[in-house]
Amino acid sequence: MSGRYDAIIIGAGHNGLVGAAVLARKGKKVLVLEARDHVGGMLGDASFRVAPLPYALRPEIARMLQLDQKRLHGAKPVETLAFGSDGPPLRIIGGQVTGTDAITEHDYAILHARLGRQARALGVMMLQSPPGLGKASLGEMAGLAKMALKMRLLGKTEMRDLLRIILSNAWDLLNDEIGDGPLAGALAMDATLGGAMGPRSPGTVLTLLYRMASQSSHGHGLRVMPEGGPDALVKALSDCVTSAGGEIRTGVAVEKILVDQDRAAGVRLQSGEEIAAPLVLSNASPKTTLLTLLGVEHLDGEFIRRCRNMASKGMVSRLDFDIAQMPSLRSGGKIEQGQRLVFAPTMQAIEASFNAAKYGDLPERPVFEATYDTTAKRLCVTAQFTPHDLKGGWTDDAKSALASSVMAALEEALPGLSSAVTASRVMSPVDIETGYGASGGHWHHGELRVDQLLMLRPFDGAAQYRMPVKGLYLCGAGAHPGGDISGAPGFNAARAALRDGGH
Amino acid sequence: MAAKAKPVPQVALGLEPGPFHDRLVAHNRQQAWMNWMGYASPSVLDTVEFEYFAIRNQSTLFDISPMCKYAITGPDAESVVNRLVTRDIRKLKPGRVAYCIWCDEDGNVVDDGTVFRLSETEFRLCCQEPQLSWLEDIGWGFDVQISDVTRDIAGLALQGPTSCALLKDLGLAGIETLKPFGIAGFEIGGAAVTISRTGFTGDLGYELWMEPGDALKVWDALMPAGKLRGLRVIGYEALEMARIEAGFLLPKVDFLSAQTVLRADRANTPYELGLEWLVALDKPHFNGRRALVDLSKQTPRRKLVAIEIERDKPAHNALVYHKKTREVGQVTSALWSPTCKRNIAYAWLEAPYGQSVTDNLWVEIYLQKEIRWQRRMARCHLVAKPFFVHPRRTATPPADY
Repeated sequence: MSGRYDAIIIGAGHNGLVGAAVLARKGKKVLVLEARDHVGGMLGDASFRVAPLPYALRPEIARMLQLDQKRLHGAKPVETLAFGSDGPPLRIIGGQVTGTDAITEHDYAILHARLGRQARALGVMMLQSPPGLGKASLGEMAGLAKMALKMRLLGKTEMRDLLRIILSNAWDLLNDEIGDGPLAGALAMDATLGGAMGPRSPGTVLTLLYRMASQSSHGHGLRVMPEGGPDALVKALSDCVTSAGGEIRTGVAVEKILVDQDRAAGVRLQSGEEIAAPLVLSNASPKTTLLTLLGVEHLDGEFIRRCRNMASKGMVSRLDFDIAQMPSLRSGGKIEQGQRLVFAPTMQAIEASFNAAKYGDLPERPVFEATYDTTAKRLCVTAQFTPHDLKGGWTDDAKSALASSVMAALEEALPGLSSAVTASRVMSPVDIETGYGASGGHWHHGELRVDQLLMLRPFDGAAQYRMPVKGLYLCGAGAHPGGDISGAPGFNAARAALRDGGH
Repeated sequence: MAAKAKPVPQVALGLEPGPFHDRLVAHNRQQAWMNWMGYASPSVLDTVEFEYFAIRNQSTLFDISPMCKYAITGPDAESVVNRLVTRDIRKLKPGRVAYCIWCDEDGNVVDDGTVFRLSETEFRLCCQEPQLSWLEDIGWGFDVQISDVTRDIAGLALQGPTSCALLKDLGLAGIETLKPFGIAGFEIGGAAVTISRTGFTGDLGYELWMEPGDALKVWDALMPAGKLRGLRVIGYEALEMARIEAGFLLPKVDFLSAQTVLRADRANTPYELGLEWLVALDKPHFNGRRALVDLSKQTPRRKLVAIEIERDKPAHNALVYHKKTREVGQVTSALWSPTCKRNIAYAWLEAPYGQSVTDNLWVEIYLQKEIRWQRRMARCHLVAKPFFVHPRRTATPPADY
């Protein structure tokens, strides 16, 4: 096979694009292959986006790739509207909440600041390759040591507090600090969204901190809508790849990763075309990459068992409602562009809807977040706890049942909404799985759990981006530091490949 | 009035009677039973010396039904077995058997056993330790059926110089042409029997495989035929002597399976066990290959060696010293070999002993003489395995003894 390319990136999701950009800017001849007809992966389909809230691209990455930071991170932070069972929604920006009593406002500000400090200490590891178990390199250990130091620098009391809460659950923490209600509901949504965990599940404080460790120019945990929306972010990343000499091909599905002499040798497309490259980065989920694209014949039995057993049961469905005329809120006022609406009136409500999903049922009252796109006149809903392994399967009936229960909850906050809907669409976790190479339809490619993070992400023995077949790297959300729209896995994976010599 | 013998409870301990149990009970004068994979297996039936010498001079029957047996069949069976074991199984022809080991992802040995290739797409694996879940992991994603056939197949080891003659007496036409590690089908006592020229004694011998329902029929045909051939039923203790002479390793005695060790450094690589001749690094990926490639370039941490010890006392559980002072290893299996007339043992020696340093090695033997323990330092020498080698093991056709 000819050596036209130095590297092939499977999947033009944001992580794939970031990885490709890092390699291309180092002079590597890269080719990005995307099965869908658009780039950007879960961000990219303008007609029905999996992830309409693309907020957390690491500023360091934007800086290093010389992206237009003002455009990507310059907007004012997104305001969250947390809806209770009645009355006006609470309005949350960062550590500030309005619409609740003065004591809760005060307690919340303190809690938010404290969690932010703790999250920043953990966040040190985000752009580091996690240390290997048993055989960590000096550089990897240095990253871990830096995190330990940051934790220690929090002060004795706060470090102890962090160690006390880090493996516990959001329910206990939030009940202790701010009490249950729409504010706790909004925070607990941050802690559980995308995962198969309720607020009472152990480890949900860690996922909350994980989310808060994402940074913007406005501080920790804050998300910003880039100027121009998700398309602007995707375009910025793909332009970065192409301007550095990288090539992007859409509508070409990779069928197999080619292996020669126990090294990655390129890929074979579904069309039968073979493309050679000594370096392959896969943005598909670990299970898809290893079990389907690479093939079990190249892997050891124990490795495959750990890969198969990796928790990646998707819980999120996406619903779009086309609404010609958005009605007013029940308390008066209009929804504005860029606001994030959270419908989780209490932590109890989240836990109750998780209970149904645990056993393969749809919750009677789903909890969800939503945004309203005023130009497209579209309400985009991300509904939590709609299990991938739904009893009876994701039939049209199941989808319309979900749509009506979501609409019923929306109708309470926005009276008259249901009669304003002109069209609606539902994308189940199964649709996400088949459409985006994300095994289990999990939008983080793998559960963010303490046993699947850091040196255990995506699973033991696969945590340093490098796969057992030399020249093959995981660069998607399944790799450390995992999910969200951070770009960090792609960035870290590309740097790991470069450290190894770029083959 | 003569007292009538009461029926004695045959086997206590909650052990399962195997397919030959009714006949074993009748021969087991010592009523010495041991637990072999839940089956009642005789450790010694009469006298271990008689049983041992029958292996080397006559013929012996040993019930090997408790051995774990797995059927691996289907279009991908060859790929799966080749992925499991370290040998290149593509070279194993149908109707042949190969001794194999298999390793975990760190290159440590999980178990050893024999692979029977019954046809292009049918394999049988015989081994000591249960391996079903391991095999299912190895076979995951392949078009293959894996099933535990331990209880579907009865096995008898017929071993000893007169074993071929005995089978010929039974009218098994062409048995003398069966080569070592060959498999062929025959009929004994009206029952279909698959015979492989394999065994654990290092001597001329066969292993007979049949349906459990036919077990007693086959036994009852063998025993009278064996009368003039000195056929004797034996237990594990006699076999253990023969297997040490024959150079075979025993899991749990000479090494531990990587699956069972608690201390990670107790597991052993093929290079440490001296089994590198079983590792085909040049075949396509198999379990543990990448680790084994690295290990093949390193000096093993320790080495299992065969030693011969001066003087006659067997070196059970002995420590090994360099220059009589520095402790460098220990003995796992030891025997005064009655046939070789040599004092033999296997020992683990920590690197560099047994590798670059091979002289001035001593074993400390412990002897009890009338409730008083004595220590004796005896010089030992590294020797090649096996200790017992006889041309009749491989001669085809075997001579009529």
